[in-house]
Amino acid sequence: MSEEKQLATEEHLESRIMEFLKPRMGARFKTWMKICAHCGLCSDTCHFYLSNGKEPKMIPSYKIRFLKDILRKKGKVDKPYLQEVYKTIYHECNMCRRCSLYCPFGIDIAMMISLLRGLLTSVGMVPDGLAKAVANYQESGNQMAITKEDWIETLEWCEEETAEELAGLKIPIDKKGAKIMYTVNAREPKFYPQDIMEMAKIFHVAGEDWTFPSEKGWDATNLAMFVNDAQTAKSIAENTFKRAEELGVKQIAITE
Amino acid sequence: MDFYDFAVGPLLWISFLVFLIGSLLRVVLFFYVSSQKDKAIYRYFSWKYVLATIGRWLFPFNKDVAKNPIFTIVAYVFHICLLVVPIWFSGHISLWEESRLEWSWSSIPDSLADWMTIILLGIVIFFLLRRIISPEVRLISTASDYLLLVVTGLPFLTGYFLTHGTLDSVGFIGDNMMLIHILSGELMLLLIPFTKLSHFVLFFLSRGATAIEFGRRGYSI
Repeated sequence: MSEEKQLATEEHLESRIMEFLKPRMGARFKTWMKICAHCGLCSDTCHFYLSNGKEPKMIPSYKIRFLKDILRKKGKVDKPYLQEVYKTIYHECNMCRRCSLYCPFGIDIAMMISLLRGLLTSVGMVPDGLAKAVANYQESGNQMAITKEDWIETLEWCEEETAEELAGLKIPIDKKGAKIMYTVNAREPKFYPQDIMEMAKIFHVAGEDWTFPSEKGWDATNLAMFVNDAQTAKSIAENTFKRAEELGVKQIAITE
Repeated sequence: MDFYDFAVGPLLWISFLVFLIGSLLRVVLFFYVSSQKDKAIYRYFSWKYVLATIGRWLFPFNKDVAKNPIFTIVAYVFHICLLVVPIWFSGHISLWEESRLEWSWSSIPDSLADWMTIILLGIVIFFLLRRIISPEVRLISTASDYLLLVVTGLPFLTGYFLTHGTLDSVGFIGDNMMLIHILSGELMLLLIPFTKLSHFVLFFLSRGATAIEFGRRGYSI
């Protein structure tokens, strides 16, 4: 999929954009665009607005103007236009959804930003770091492209090291019927294995019945959501649930 | 048939039908499209969240009241006046009684209708000024926002002039205030299904749909 994420040529842009938007323009999006009363109550709910000296261009209702505009133009927009969209939806919003909480009509402005992110993703406009992460998820099931062998090896030496401190400590892998399946931020095995060791100690001292899965599904993060790559986001979440079902655990715990 | 007869006859029918059928169509369209493209609403449907959210936002028991007390209270008062006067003003009820439907219900005292009209007009001016003066609101305002404020205020303004004879001596306007008042009301009715005034029905659907997700996630609804 990552190879296909080349920037669409201008001739194809229009059709790619409408192809993306048409099936997703549901009743809610259409209604929200119609009934926004431009009341401005969303303004001081937004931390971007407040921290930029109450800059009017940062108000949530203004930031999603592109959606209506693109639809009105039936997708006939060019790359410089989409770059303006990119700037707003990636640098002026982090989809915290606070604006959505305060809108009297329940307009989910953050979800509309997410839709725009998905739109840009569909034409290949994605921040580099996130593009890389998404490609990693697709390849290895985790954000950091850690192979199954590396994952297991990391857990094994974490167990060795920690067992020196706390005799009998185990880091169970693929323990069927355990109570808890624990999932971590992929940064932990890669950069902060001490976090895994700390949790192992806590589980051990608490006498908790837990396990890690060996296969894809141990990464608790889902950066694909940030670019609204719904398909990848879905498979990331699905992996975790599949492992939990296979192992027959009662609960999934996440690191954050 | 002169123009007046047209305004109180066919045009009146058209206005009401467009308003009622148009609003109904908006609701039907919402349910139809959402059944195809917003299936999550139905998969996770919850009367508890839908009713709770509508209750909290129809009445002042929500986050916005605490955060923006003046604006929200003013908006509530505005909407109360907007709905109460046209329906419970004695002058309108008489017309319903005289119509072929012969519907009748009790009215509010005329002085109350007067006060509510004045208050509403004051609030319209407040909204207008706010829209012009506040930089954020001005930035997102469209021509429609300004026009609809005028369209909404006009029936009340002309209604007041009509019942108090304020402009009776002012030539053409004075002679035709009844007609002007009726036309202004019809204009508003006609515009409701096609503009943001449709929030009159769509509020409930949007609020409900959002609360179905937010309630489930434990957000405030």
